Amino acid sequence: MATTTTKTEPLIGKRIKRREDPRLITGTATYVDDIQMPGMHHAAIVRSPHAAAKILGINVKPALDLPGVVAVFTGEDTKDVGPVPCGASLPGLRVPHHYILARDRVYFVGHPVAVVVATDRYIARDAADLVEVDYEPLPAVADPEKALAPGAPAVHPEWPDNVAFTYHQEGGDPDKAFAEADVVVKQRIVSQRLIPSAMETRGVVADWRPGDKALTVYDSTQIPHLLRTLLAGALGIPENRVRVVAPEVGGGFGSKLNVYAEDILMGFVAMRIGKPVKWIESRRENFMCTIHGRGHVDYYEIAAKRDGTVLGMKLKLIQDLGAYHQLLTPAIPTLSVLMMPGLYRFKNIKADIVGVFTNCVPTDAYRGAGRPEATHGVERMMDILAAELNMDPAEIRLRNFPEPEEFPFATATGLTYDSGDYAAPLKKALEIIDYPRLRAEQRLARDAGRLMGIGISTYGEICAFGPSPATPAGGWESATVKIEPSGKVTVMTGASPHGQGEETTFAQIAADELGVSIDDVLVLHGDTSVVQYGIGTFGSRATAVGGTAVYFALQELKEKIKRFGAMLLESDDVSVTNGQCICNRTGNAKTLAEIAGASYRAMKLPPNTQPGLVSTYFWEPPNFAFPFGAHIVVTEVDRETGDITIKRYVAVDDCGRIINPLLVAGQVHGGVVQGIGQALCEQAVYDENGQLITGEFTDYAAPRASRVPWIETDHTVTPSPVNPLGVKGVGEAGTIGASPAVVNSVVDALKPLGVRHIDMPMTPEKIWRIINKGTNA
Amino acid sequence: MKISGAHPIPAAPERAYAALQDPAILAKSMPGCERLEQTGEDEYRMVLKMAIASIAGQFDGRIWITDKNPPEGFTLNVEGKGKPGFVKGSGALRVLGNGTGAEVRYDGDVQVGGTIAAVGQRLIDTTARLMIKRFFDKLAEQLAAGG
Amino acid sequence: MIPQPFEYARAKTLKEALAMIADGAKPLAGGMSLTPLMKLRLAAPERVVDIARVPELHYIREESGEIHIGATTIHYEVESSPLLRAKCPLLAETASRIGDIQVRNRGTIGGSAAHADPSADYPAALLALEARICVVGVSGEREIPASQFFVDAFATALEPGEVIREIVVPATGDDTGWSYQKAAQPASGFAIVGIAVRLRKESGRVALARVGVTGVAGKPYRAERVERALEGSAGSAADVQHAAAEAAEGVEASSDLHASADYRKHLARIYTMRALTTALSRIA
Repeated sequence: MATTTTKTEPLIGKRIKRREDPRLITGTATYVDDIQMPGMHHAAIVRSPHAAAKILGINVKPALDLPGVVAVFTGEDTKDVGPVPCGASLPGLRVPHHYILARDRVYFVGHPVAVVVATDRYIARDAADLVEVDYEPLPAVADPEKALAPGAPAVHPEWPDNVAFTYHQEGGDPDKAFAEADVVVKQRIVSQRLIPSAMETRGVVADWRPGDKALTVYDSTQIPHLLRTLLAGALGIPENRVRVVAPEVGGGFGSKLNVYAEDILMGFVAMRIGKPVKWIESRRENFMCTIHGRGHVDYYEIAAKRDGTVLGMKLKLIQDLGAYHQLLTPAIPTLSVLMMPGLYRFKNIKADIVGVFTNCVPTDAYRGAGRPEATHGVERMMDILAAELNMDPAEIRLRNFPEPEEFPFATATGLTYDSGDYAAPLKKALEIIDYPRLRAEQRLARDAGRLMGIGISTYGEICAFGPSPATPAGGWESATVKIEPSGKVTVMTGASPHGQGEETTFAQIAADELGVSIDDVLVLHGDTSVVQYGIGTFGSRATAVGGTAVYFALQELKEKIKRFGAMLLESDDVSVTNGQCICNRTGNAKTLAEIAGASYRAMKLPPNTQPGLVSTYFWEPPNFAFPFGAHIVVTEVDRETGDITIKRYVAVDDCGRIINPLLVAGQVHGGVVQGIGQALCEQAVYDENGQLITGEFTDYAAPRASRVPWIETDHTVTPSPVNPLGVKGVGEAGTIGASPAVVNSVVDALKPLGVRHIDMPMTPEKIWRIINKGTNA
Repeated sequence: MKISGAHPIPAAPERAYAALQDPAILAKSMPGCERLEQTGEDEYRMVLKMAIASIAGQFDGRIWITDKNPPEGFTLNVEGKGKPGFVKGSGALRVLGNGTGAEVRYDGDVQVGGTIAAVGQRLIDTTARLMIKRFFDKLAEQLAAGG
Repeated sequence: MIPQPFEYARAKTLKEALAMIADGAKPLAGGMSLTPLMKLRLAAPERVVDIARVPELHYIREESGEIHIGATTIHYEVESSPLLRAKCPLLAETASRIGDIQVRNRGTIGGSAAHADPSADYPAALLALEARICVVGVSGEREIPASQFFVDAFATALEPGEVIREIVVPATGDDTGWSYQKAAQPASGFAIVGIAVRLRKESGRVALARVGVTGVAGKPYRAERVERALEGSAGSAADVQHAAAEAAEGVEASSDLHASADYRKHLARIYTMRALTTALSRIA
């Protein structure tokens, strides 16, 4: 029998290399597209080239005539399947029926119109070109503010005002705060549409077993269990006969926190043809049809006293929803409202959201989901206020943070911030960057005619989603920990990591709690037939909620180990440490392997104890967790060309207790890069007729490695009281902190020219125009 | 996309005006024009084979003329589609005398959709201008040759 | 991203390649331009002949004061060639600024020239170097000066059935200054503006100035007004500024999502100034 190796040194807090990386970097991981099945067919989807059009007719015959094509389905065939689900609910929300294939009308470029099924993917793709669709193009609208204007084309004819919902939230007495203010500053701030650009595009393999009446779906998803529930509903199959497997998932950034038309469609196709079917999304399709992020036009007003004390904030938020609601589309801007006070004592707030339909692909959760928009807004506004009052941006922030002893801190938006020392990361970042010296250097640079800027953002975010009453599908997470008869430890998490590294961090937690070697721990996830029901990985929740579930499952398991240990050691005073159960009096010990063996062999059982060593725990968090931090960016702007160079980037984050500093650094780096991308170059552009004209990476400027600066990271540690691990979350922090820090830096660089705001992306031409006009171009 | 510009034509304005509506001359001037046939009054069907770089695509389209105001100008409307995408636009053409001949000024708005719009942004402006230039060069050539 | 069906053949010799091309096959070398177009189904050649491994097209060598570069020489080889770095550093520097590392390890000099993308980097350098493009077809060879080779956007002086065999550039000495300066489009890496400069000074005066411009207009061009303004001058900062102001004069600049015509013209002047300044500083 194999034995369990023991270890004494704790792993939590150690820079452990990711255990999933060897298979990823050697090309031996299994993604959806790696799955091959006997008799597998392939699907290609015919999509609308128009943003709005009536479908007058579809001729599928030329496609069906191509040898190798076995079926073509259109909206008529699939009208009773679905719809594509919207999981968010808001009062008065208008929810258009979202057929999985368009019926008489298309609503955005890329809208699926028909699916072609063939014996290989090449034939399927060729046949897709042969389907003849007769469209009558209609006027389209792609800009949310234009969509609200009187006389704009109606995205959905039944709602001519294009308004999907309005939402109002108020806290304190904002009107009084504004009336009593010494100063009010206002600004329109845009957070542009972004394309999530996960490295792996979406993909589905659906396999229907008629004999079992069971459907297995391999899907590149962040939420296998939720997808199973929703697929079962959409397809009319009992949920326990649907199995969803998320194999290796090559990133999502929120774009795979969804149920797409194609997920349901492949299930439908597999059932109709009685053969497995595969669909792999092309990058073009990914840009057109997978959700986009952001898409805000925000009108901010903040009221303050002359000494910089903030009093109140008003926000009118226009959210570009796109043509439909995907899973969480309308909920995303409500997260912006929740976080609109940022880290500051805004006691009086008023927010109004207008959710607007446009002839574009839906927006939904993208790394940060609502919080980057809010943070960008409040952090820009704090700088605008500081400029108005001629105050230092660091000073105005320090003046408005709640003190550490004020926690838990209740916000005007109804949240309770768990724990924080908001001044700490800012002070640390100012120290790292040597702020007084840097400002002196800036004065010299300005005297020499150079445009040097220093930008600060002190961000706060809501993560670890979340208490179930505040989360659409439940906010708990589950874990099962098993000790196998050999003593090996298997952790099954309901969270479904897709690049974050929980196979490593959860193994660290298990190894520490049981005192075993990390090599004896295997973390499984993503297969609904293997893993108990779970929620998934998004919203920086996997470690804080899923990791905590693992922790509690381990506590229960340790109790059971002790019962077996006590029986075997004939002692009533035992403890579990170093992979053993030890009698505290005699020092006699039984290894985990010995105990596991005895528990499964079950020759003798402790009183009221079942055989085996398995524990399952569903953990419901009592609150969200609220990480925070300070980013400082030094930039220089080339006066002649408008080019922006990031000279220094300092990120001091507080994500609570750190399980693995290496992974935390990786999350911060990746997040910062995405924030820099939004600040400097990324934008999904639709032309006025609703054509997505950044349809590929040749025109959509994701940041290249060559323009990413050296990122200096550091941390303060304020444990969260919400969970026993003390962790908060770090998956989105970098993105949330980065974009306002970069924009604040560039605005600061251009301050001598009278510039007070610049919208993203800050392209060189935009900057050049501002330099030449001194205004926001 | 807005397209505007001007091109000299070595012919009297009346002659230039007529040539701009003469299917035979247009067919020879339109780069890649495979077929141009009249389908009604001031209305034509055109098949165009476009070849730019390695990009090759056949467009099937409709051209019709409105707002005729001889010899000063008219509005040219185009609608076409092919595998690479679709094009729809209209433009005002004005024929002006410039002493020795005519000058055609054009000012239009073109919508481009489909794959070309999605991935060809870098090329659309350049290509459109190139095709217009080739068109007027050919037209001028024919008018010069034909007198 | 699946192309339409096509036949693929790999040519072992130039003769074999030419026969296939004469027969209508589309030549493929690095595939950096053709394969994306095929995957998008914007290009759909029925037959493709891969010439990347034809030995007669792959070399860099010096012959009587000139450097001959085989058509399928990849950008990385041009960038890193000791011969070119010593004797035609402008071309090596230009190659080093093309696309990204992956592109530079696949794309070829002949492919780039033949594709004649108006935003490609090489044409600027080939114009500034007054390179000759040697093309070959079944009926024989001919040489075309770079100034006549780039006819229009994506249009060259290549006749049907012809391919580029080699590109010939002058070997330059210590008396020559050079620089390639580029504003890269952030997504694709293509030049929004690319300025290649070759300068020679004699007894304190600029004796020769050659300025190639790419990205600005529908086709690459020689900024002859800049050249004329600079030649004969001392090459002072004021001379450079004065000359660079002419970089986009009389040019109909392109406009797209990434840069307006105005901005392109402005950048042409700025980058010309920078390239001229760098080139002058490099004259030994």
